[in-house]
Amino acid sequence: MNHSETLVKQLPTELGGLEAGPLQRVEHELLPWEKRCHALADVLDFHKIVNTEEKRRGVEALGSEIINNLSYYERWIVAFANILFAKGVLTPTELAVKMDEVAARSASVGCCS
Amino acid sequence: MSSQIHDHTPAADAGEVRPSYYEVMETAVRELLVEKTLIGAGEIRRQIEVLDSRNPALGAKVVARAWVDPAFRVRLFANGRKACEEIGITFYDDTELIVLENTDRVHNLIVCTLCSCYPRPVLGLPPDWYKLKPYRARAVKEPRALLAEFGTIIPDNVEVRVSDSTAMVRYLVLPQRPQGTEGMNEEELAHLVTRDAMIGVVKAGVIDLPEKTQ
Repeated sequence: MNHSETLVKQLPTELGGLEAGPLQRVEHELLPWEKRCHALADVLDFHKIVNTEEKRRGVEALGSEIINNLSYYERWIVAFANILFAKGVLTPTELAVKMDEVAARSASVGCCS
Repeated sequence: MSSQIHDHTPAADAGEVRPSYYEVMETAVRELLVEKTLIGAGEIRRQIEVLDSRNPALGAKVVARAWVDPAFRVRLFANGRKACEEIGITFYDDTELIVLENTDRVHNLIVCTLCSCYPRPVLGLPPDWYKLKPYRARAVKEPRALLAEFGTIIPDNVEVRVSDSTAMVRYLVLPQRPQGTEGMNEEELAHLVTRDAMIGVVKAGVIDLPEKTQ
């Protein structure tokens, strides 16, 4: 099976049974934003806005290149944005404007915020 | 404390303060949802407190209770979620919990091949290795080799059963009660139960105690 066929036949999150290297026994304490992202996932599920399975499929839909280059919670937040666009809850423009606002605000606060 | 070093170079400040693209995205998504009144401003904070309140000590309490209380054990296998709720462990999501019993003949291991589903209400958040490719890929193909990398050798006459979690169905392993613990009470037993034992990658351990002097 060549590389393109593999991409078609094997979803990027379908890892069960694949060849893989030795166990990487790593752990880390979640960063504050990662924990907020996890809490956001739970709250979206409670309100039936995005459930766990929709989130999982949202990550899968990012495709192998994005999945391989983003960290765990980076994938989650990007998947949430896409799902919320698809559901008409948010628009890409709205998010872009808000992200500029948040970035500008964070930059101006400076040290010791 | 040293008074001479006050390393406040602009570069160091900028590096620490500026949130990443993804962190900015998280804040922006959250604030937009709050502005649209789809979620409440305090809900994220409250859920962070819930997440912080969950850790493997809860699961250990469930295991120790099952070791000492045969009736509880029966209820635990019948409906894991209800039995946990009975001892005060609330489920904050819609997931079902199936408890898998390790015996002399069967060793259970849990995994989520598609993502990272895990019994969070009773164990807290999963370790990174549980979410990474080597564990997810190999658990269903060569569980014995994988277990050996955790230092767990399962004899050939013991069946290894691997359960693959889903968004709605989560598993918890009930490890075997270690030998020589007959005299221990429930609280002491709970200390022998680690997170990894409830995932099934190690056995519940007997902590090495200094030999008793007569």
